[in-house]
Amino acid sequence: MGYTLLLVMVLPAMVVPFVYFVGKKSFKGAAFLIVLVCLADIALLLTTVPAILNGVDHRYVESYYWIPVLHASFTLFVDGISFSMAIITLILILAAALFSIDYMHERKGLAEYYTLLTLLSIGLVGVFITSNLMLFYFCWELMLLPSYFIIGEWGYREAYRAAFKFFIFTHAGAIFVLLGIGAIFMVTGDLDMFRAKTALMAANPEFVKWVLLSLTVGFAVKMAVVPVHMWLPDAHSEAPAPMSALLSGVIISAGAYAVLRVSMGTVFPAIMGTDFGGMFLHGLTVFGIITAFFGALIALVETDIKRIIAYSSIAHMGYVLFGLSLFPFQEPVTGTVLHLVNHAVSKGLFFLSAGAVMKQLEIRDIREMGGLAGKMPITATASTAAALSIAGAPAFACFMSEFIIFVGAFQTINSDGFYLVPTAFMLVATVLSLAYALRFLSHVFLGETKHESAIDPPRYMKLAMIILAVFTVILGVWPTFFIQLISSASLL
Amino acid sequence: MITLLDVSLPITAFVLFSLLTIPTIKVIRRRKSRKTALELCWFLAVFIVSSITVANIALKYYTEPSPKPFLNISLIGGSSAIFSSMFLVDAVSVYMAIIFTGVGAVTTLYSLFSIGSTEELSERYYAVMLMIIGCVIGTALAGDLLTLFIFWEATAAGSSFLMLYQKTVKSLHATLKYLVMIIMASAFIIYGLSVIYALTGTLNFWEVKHALAVLADKHLLEIAFVFIAAGYSIEAAVVPFHMWLPDAYTAVPAPSSAFLSALVDQASYYVLLRVLIYILTPPTVLPWTFMSAVLSALTMIVGNLLALTEKNIKRLIAYICIADVGYNLVAITSVTPLGRMGNLFFFLVGGITTALAFMVVGIFNSMGFKSLEDFSGVGRRMPLTSLAFIMAAFSFTGVPAFAGFIAKYLVFTSAVEANMSWLAVIGVLTSIIQAAYLLRLINYMYAKKPKEESKVKEPRKLLIPIFILAIAIVILGVYPNIILSLIEPVIQQFQTIP
Repeated sequence: MGYTLLLVMVLPAMVVPFVYFVGKKSFKGAAFLIVLVCLADIALLLTTVPAILNGVDHRYVESYYWIPVLHASFTLFVDGISFSMAIITLILILAAALFSIDYMHERKGLAEYYTLLTLLSIGLVGVFITSNLMLFYFCWELMLLPSYFIIGEWGYREAYRAAFKFFIFTHAGAIFVLLGIGAIFMVTGDLDMFRAKTALMAANPEFVKWVLLSLTVGFAVKMAVVPVHMWLPDAHSEAPAPMSALLSGVIISAGAYAVLRVSMGTVFPAIMGTDFGGMFLHGLTVFGIITAFFGALIALVETDIKRIIAYSSIAHMGYVLFGLSLFPFQEPVTGTVLHLVNHAVSKGLFFLSAGAVMKQLEIRDIREMGGLAGKMPITATASTAAALSIAGAPAFACFMSEFIIFVGAFQTINSDGFYLVPTAFMLVATVLSLAYALRFLSHVFLGETKHESAIDPPRYMKLAMIILAVFTVILGVWPTFFIQLISSASLL
Repeated sequence: MITLLDVSLPITAFVLFSLLTIPTIKVIRRRKSRKTALELCWFLAVFIVSSITVANIALKYYTEPSPKPFLNISLIGGSSAIFSSMFLVDAVSVYMAIIFTGVGAVTTLYSLFSIGSTEELSERYYAVMLMIIGCVIGTALAGDLLTLFIFWEATAAGSSFLMLYQKTVKSLHATLKYLVMIIMASAFIIYGLSVIYALTGTLNFWEVKHALAVLADKHLLEIAFVFIAAGYSIEAAVVPFHMWLPDAYTAVPAPSSAFLSALVDQASYYVLLRVLIYILTPPTVLPWTFMSAVLSALTMIVGNLLALTEKNIKRLIAYICIADVGYNLVAITSVTPLGRMGNLFFFLVGGITTALAFMVVGIFNSMGFKSLEDFSGVGRRMPLTSLAFIMAAFSFTGVPAFAGFIAKYLVFTSAVEANMSWLAVIGVLTSIIQAAYLLRLINYMYAKKPKEESKVKEPRKLLIPIFILAIAIVILGVYPNIILSLIEPVIQQFQTIP
């Protein structure tokens, strides 16, 4: 199979016009077209698994001619990390498309909605499977444009305001990324991540320092690390539920992935071992703790059903940042990527089930809800799975990855005593996450019944939730497949 | 071999067609039916014939076994004659001629549909338009400073006719302002040229260049340089001299502003590039790069800040034109091969993006949507036109997958390459400002409630040229190699300047 990854990228691009014209006739057809494309992409990606597990460098690479003048080639690759992220992205897009059928059916302009969703999927998948920084930046911004319009056009309340905030924040972040990429190009004359890594080793560390900072700040905006998180609560809570699921599940994970792949994987090795390298990692730890506590504490007091989940996303990016700061040890990296995967599924499920509740009750304040467990059993089950996973309860997805991160953290303490206190703090943060998750469940699904007429949502919404709930449990009980893949990837 | 005939053919073709256009259109107007179709056929014929002449030069240039980097063709009395007029065919001028013809064709199509066959005097408008295309191609192919000057002034004079077309008080004022500035500029330039001639005894690009490189006393040259640079800066609307541009582009009808921004503006940057880079380089002749770096920073900042506070959308686009001057100057300032590529790519991309924006705004204006508030909810009422506007806006901002991104990337990397990172940083920051005000506009178009909900009938015909440009922006954004591979020889040539 010579063109596997190219097809993965091009297939959604090719169906864009079809989605639009099918969507004009029947929006259901458009949604199923997206589902089909996602399934085809997943199948194509799965064919690369043997190459990842047994290939040279545990990578599967394809390269095509693109803009030779800028040293930008259309290089696509998958290794364990990229593969896991891409697969989970496709599963989330699939679920979001299915969920949209019933969730969005009374809205206007659905052909445009599904077209934008397809465009979005190109960027979302592309960002994980390219090793050329220029193509990476293309996909990075391609995530932004369609999501701006989806949030603005089909969101709630002052949606365009939230979308505007989202766009300006992340676009400004992207400019920092571009500066970093341009600087890498200047120093190394190459835009390929893996070749640039070797070339940067020879560069002036003083310069590399700034490149690293510029890139990391840019990625941190997308990741919603605390001082630059302001766009997230608005964007996530005003967006339509399927889009919130993608935002929280994939887009902020893309920020974390980019920190891991570009900041850590490409630039950081050049200054590893220097004083600044250590300071940088410790800085990430501190920001991780602040982010985790900030998100968790606000989630504890927030009453808007979607804002709770949005703040919990911030909190979880704190864990991820903490995990990233334990670089370059193998366990924490594996744990972090696994956490991105698990968090994507669980948070996607969480947002979808919150969307289902909102859709059925048409209220957003959790104080006005209660006792829905009996009325909406499937939604309740899905929410419980998601909330418990987010809280880090065993047998659900996020437990496993948090566990691996903490194992890694304890190992790191042996070599760097600095991590002792942060690790303790992070353990406290997990308790907080359990608290807000349980608060959410008890307010919404337990207690006295306030809405007698509430029923479970229509079937496609149920189907989407069931798919993700199954994945949440599978990942919690048997994460071996992903662990094996992720740990095969070597960043150093 | 490229002969004098080959070079003069496109220029003569356009000028001749321009003269023929008036009687032809008059004859067509006498008919009862199918006027527009026949006019369309006429312009199609014009552009097919002229493109063949341009393609002829390009083919001959590229297929020549070992094309000499530069080719001088004297018009009168051989290359040794004192006031001979010369043409020059190198990769840059061939490229410029190609894009002028292409973009000119699309903007003419828009003018044709926009002005229509009913309006009085429109045949003169078309004639002037073709004349200007001929003149800008002449500017691109000129081989000495005087020929360049003559063609360029002819372009400027023609432009003032385009601005005057509607004969409103505002456009009269704007044209007057433009003419005063232009005449002042040409006086400066002529003065500078005479000093250069006194210093070197020639006006041919390469002879001037060589003579200047060995010049001992540079006092007079400095004076000449200041005059020439100031003159051409006025015509390109570099910031301290930018005042005429917003008035001129706002007061004139949409097809004129689209045409002017796509061709005349780009030609003015080209002239600046040619004079600064190809004649006064290396900057060791005169250390002009710092000055132009400051000017370009000023232009980017002022252009974008003015746009940020502007409520009238057409004027806002005019301010973006000014900002584009700044981005082009960044690349000129860098004096690197990458900067050349950035320039040449920006000429095309900036031209089609501003033209697209002016065309779209022209449609909006004709429906009565003029200021920011008028644009409320217009996105829902005119979906296709708004889509085209969004594409132009994102291309301006430099969002990937639109051509503007590649152009800006080339420009800013060239600045970094030339050790002027601060300039790149200013460029990047002003791009964020650009994102802010364009996104605010898009927010108005989609988020605000319109005064009335009814759909507005969009002029189908006008959307044809608009979407030709919009699709071009996306294609160039995703696969810029189409143009970049065409520009690449320019770099090699730049390195081998004799």
